[in-house]
Amino acid sequence: MAVLLVGVVALVVAGCGGGDSSTSSGTTATEEPAETGGGGATEEETGEEEPSGGGEKLTVGSDIPYPPFEQGKKGSYTGFDVELMEAIGKEIGREPEFIDSSFETIFRDVAQGKFEAVMSAATITEEREKVVDFSTPYYLSEQAILVKEGSDIKGLADLKGKVVAAQQGTTGLELGKEKAEASELRPYPEGPDADNALKAGTVEAVIIDAPVAKQQAEELGGIEIVEKVPTDETYGIAVEKGNTELIEQINEGLKKAIADGSYTKVYEKWFKEAPPLEALEKAIEEAESK
Amino acid sequence: MKVFFEQYFDFHIMGEHFGEVFEAFLQNLLIFFVAAIIALIWGLVLALFRQAPGKKFIPIRVLTIAYIDVLRAVPLLIIILMISGGVPFLDFLPKDIRIPHWLGKPDPFWYGVAALVFVYGAYMAEVYRAGIEAVPSGQMEAARSLGMSHLQAMRHIIVPQAVTKVPAPMLNELISLLKDTTLVSVIAFGESVLVSREILAEQLNSSALVLTAAFFLVICLPGARLVDYLIKRNQGKMSRGAHIEVA
Repeated sequence: MAVLLVGVVALVVAGCGGGDSSTSSGTTATEEPAETGGGGATEEETGEEEPSGGGEKLTVGSDIPYPPFEQGKKGSYTGFDVELMEAIGKEIGREPEFIDSSFETIFRDVAQGKFEAVMSAATITEEREKVVDFSTPYYLSEQAILVKEGSDIKGLADLKGKVVAAQQGTTGLELGKEKAEASELRPYPEGPDADNALKAGTVEAVIIDAPVAKQQAEELGGIEIVEKVPTDETYGIAVEKGNTELIEQINEGLKKAIADGSYTKVYEKWFKEAPPLEALEKAIEEAESK
Repeated sequence: MKVFFEQYFDFHIMGEHFGEVFEAFLQNLLIFFVAAIIALIWGLVLALFRQAPGKKFIPIRVLTIAYIDVLRAVPLLIIILMISGGVPFLDFLPKDIRIPHWLGKPDPFWYGVAALVFVYGAYMAEVYRAGIEAVPSGQMEAARSLGMSHLQAMRHIIVPQAVTKVPAPMLNELISLLKDTTLVSVIAFGESVLVSREILAEQLNSSALVLTAAFFLVICLPGARLVDYLIKRNQGKMSRGAHIEVA
């Protein structure tokens, strides 16, 4: 067993060859990349072969689908995160390539170099900052309580003793654990699973990111948002710990995208409302001063 | 290599969450026992339906064969998702069946049990059938010639002999069934894999999964050895009086 593993590691290291400088590797060549095969490695290599501005690939991990942040089919992913990353990429001369990945392992994966960045509607938390570095905030988030239309649940306070669902590994689940006093809290692997359970009547409420809740309520019908809970949460783009070069680039790109209006354009397209630019800029300043 | 061991063999994290994972593993055992008992009976019923004789039972035989074939061919995971996602919408059923909360267990538990019984009933029916078919056909002929009905012959002659031939393969099915209880995590039932993955999401470390694997090893390894022992013993019985141990 051990011999086999050593073999696999050796193969991976050999495969990555000639030291890939773009991802300040170190402990990155582990078993994880072996599973996803050479795909990621070759893409990074091609990126290296043509380092001239415009086209250098930036691999971004994301748990797709999570509309309206990330959605669509492989090869043509879209959504707020995807388009904002493209806007940032334009500013810094990198071409983002999104890779679908499970949210619960996504930070471990970026820490191990499976991809260079994570952009997956990910809240910046202290726990996560221990394993990855975050960019400045690019989105201010709220959690929403979704219920069936006509439910007697009017908000967070009414969740006491109820069966409540959330998505595994998300802040909605944390909020449920801390504040809901639910009789049972069910962590579903994907957000839409939780919505289905709500429609089916097997759970009585779902706690999930507000924009996601809004879109799902519109599309599914029969369910509605009863309360939005501000959480002081912000979303950030994560990279492998210590990769300050990339973080600085991304921060710079984000600032430019906000300044030249491309952020507003993407925001309005996906959320059908104007972005809270002042609050966002304040949050960015706060993050920078830390 | 270091990352691998940190990620999967962090004994500190295993120790910290031992109680939590163990309790969740008990839930796996509970699903297993409930599903196994029902599936063992359901499988036998299916096997007997499949053997039902004569022209008038043709529809039953065809339906049973179709059921067994389909349920063995469709992935269990899909059956679990379909039951938990579909049954609540079957309006003609009473609410207690659509969203069961029997015996203080939440609905995902029962959806999981139902899916496991449906699928493993089909697998087990095939094990019983192999047992029934291993009984020499002369036994049935002899019983019928003594004036027993097909049902009497089955009950008093065939099934008692068939049952002695099924323990080893059946134990294999039971081991699989125990392992497959982890699939119920996909509908958010708090069994050991779900709990381990929650720990993974919080701690960003997979060691709880290895701990869960260890619990399964403790139960399943002796089970596998028992299967081998039963097969060997059975071979001894089958080889006409030759009780010579071949080393």
